[in-house]
Amino acid sequence: MEQLSAFSVHKGPTMRLHTLLFLAVASIFWAGCRSAESPSSGGDHLFGVSFQTMNNPFFVELNEGLKGVIEARGGRLVTLDAQWNSLKQKNDVADLLQQSPAAVFINPVNWEGIKGTLMEARRKQVPVIIVDAPVSEPDLVLCQVASDNFEAGRLACESLAKVNPNAKIVVLHLSVNRACIDRVEGFKAEMAKHPGLKILDTQEGKGSTEGARPVMRDLLGRFPDLDAVFPINDPSALGAISAIEAAGRTGQVTVVTVDGSREGALALQVGKLHATVAQFPREIGRIAAEKAYDHLQGKPVEKDIKIPVKLITRDNVHEILQSDKK
Amino acid sequence: MSSSEHRDQTANSNAATSQGHQLLMMLFKAGQGFLPLLAAIVVLLVVFSLWVPQGRFLRFDNLVDLAQQIAVNAILAFGLTLVILIGGIDLSVGAVVAVAGVVSVSLLTPAGPVGGLLSGIAAGVLFGLFNGLFAARTAMPPFIVTLATMLMARGFALGFNESRPLPISEQQHLFLALGNERWWGWLPMPVILMFVVLIFSAILLHSTRFGQHLFAIGGNREAARLAGITIATHEVLVYVFCGACAGLAGIIHAAQLYSAEPAAGQGYELNAIAAVVLGGTSFSGGVGSIPGTLLGAIIIGILDKGLNQAGVHFSLQYMVKGGVILAAVWYDVSRRRLSR
Repeated sequence: MEQLSAFSVHKGPTMRLHTLLFLAVASIFWAGCRSAESPSSGGDHLFGVSFQTMNNPFFVELNEGLKGVIEARGGRLVTLDAQWNSLKQKNDVADLLQQSPAAVFINPVNWEGIKGTLMEARRKQVPVIIVDAPVSEPDLVLCQVASDNFEAGRLACESLAKVNPNAKIVVLHLSVNRACIDRVEGFKAEMAKHPGLKILDTQEGKGSTEGARPVMRDLLGRFPDLDAVFPINDPSALGAISAIEAAGRTGQVTVVTVDGSREGALALQVGKLHATVAQFPREIGRIAAEKAYDHLQGKPVEKDIKIPVKLITRDNVHEILQSDKK
Repeated sequence: MSSSEHRDQTANSNAATSQGHQLLMMLFKAGQGFLPLLAAIVVLLVVFSLWVPQGRFLRFDNLVDLAQQIAVNAILAFGLTLVILIGGIDLSVGAVVAVAGVVSVSLLTPAGPVGGLLSGIAAGVLFGLFNGLFAARTAMPPFIVTLATMLMARGFALGFNESRPLPISEQQHLFLALGNERWWGWLPMPVILMFVVLIFSAILLHSTRFGQHLFAIGGNREAARLAGITIATHEVLVYVFCGACAGLAGIIHAAQLYSAEPAAGQGYELNAIAAVVLGGTSFSGGVGSIPGTLLGAIIIGILDKGLNQAGVHFSLQYMVKGGVILAAVWYDVSRRRLSR
């Protein structure tokens, strides 16, 4: 007894910690029992989506598209940002899968690295829909929904051929990205129909304004006869435009690209950009969510869904600028 | 309890040579130091068991997932604990994760699974050696040295395969097992590897002369030098160990993702440092422990997983994580000042 009191006086703070621990453990058991009692609520579905990054308006729009459909149907969407980290994406999706979601949407950071996650989803019988980027194992997913990137590249080339059928072109690539590879393939496929077009060189523009600008400056220096450029997205097109202006060759180089962002549309309006092929990320999200519900209702779903793209020139640029105001 | 502790202490002084007993005492004493961390873990478990819908958080397979998810960070953090304990820092571990991944995966076909594994760890050891030699033999602060090696290692990794991920072929069962195998159908291989590194580094730090020297160096470098400890050698070895841990983490990382990514591991050094600091290792050196680091890694893992499963918006997750780290270290620091 004496020992006990000595103990409690001496070890006051520790004792309080013990009490805290005890209470905590007790409440875990309580929580465990409580959850065992409550049956899982069906009806309102849980969905999850993991994006390679949310630091891009494209994915923010795509997320809005998903959310619009899911919330309208009384479901709930959990959005996670992988921050370009494949392992974080794997862990994030594992966390989602533990909650028995109705389906998960994945925009993979690395199309090889996602394989383990897809197998885990299959084991747990959760359907996976890939948005805006293909994976190497299409058999493991319910379907893939993406822009028709091949068509986007083709349309960009076509619009270039109309104004300059003998263009000498450079390509600012982002060759790690499957979507960009498809765009360039589409561009080249259309080139076959226009024998006057010629690609002088293809360089890595890194898909960003900062990445494309110095590369374009070098290319302008190397090729005095260069008169057209195909940067694979709007940000790198803006970089290319800035390099063209710096080199004093404004008006001599035709810029055609893919994206249809607000920034691109503004450059188009003032004539710095000749054409951009708009993607519709919100539409990608909407279709992906609807396919998920189709699957849940037992309807068949096509494996490979391409969302149409649209050529934007000065004639219809107001459509992009107006739709953005909403 | 207090009387038994007292008896233990007398027993300990009588048989001070008994190393096993010393270890036991150390664990007992350390156990008390860990109470706040354990309490924090229990509190977080309670919070998430209530918050995550349908009590899914405390389910067995979710907790196994949790263990698997902290493995890479914990292994990095064990290596970093020794470095931070002697007053150093290693910012290059994240980049070394990528280097080890691409080196081991690209050598898998010519050198086989064992060759691939060893080459990945060797790559980590080489970067560690480089860090250690510069930190020990020059007047440059380790922050700058390892900042430079971080950039060099990242560049080296990005130079592989035009910065594209290197897939691991399905035939490499042994290598893929390092990341994906589940023993007895449930225990993930990365967790086993984490415990191997945990036990090895805990023994190294807490019950060898080498470990005692590290505490001495971290506590008072000048006194350690005067006591005849070869500081430079110890420092180099510590960085080499940290590099080896990063190498192993890189291999597990690659195996889990079925591919080695040149861009892998960006920012991992910060998550690992957070685990070390949460675990009670002092940034000024001389204080710290391996089990503490494990608990720190567990806290970060619970936060990541719990906030994900509670459906917290990712922007809020960063803020909560930052707040918890700040609060925990603040508590730890003020507690230590009181006990002094």
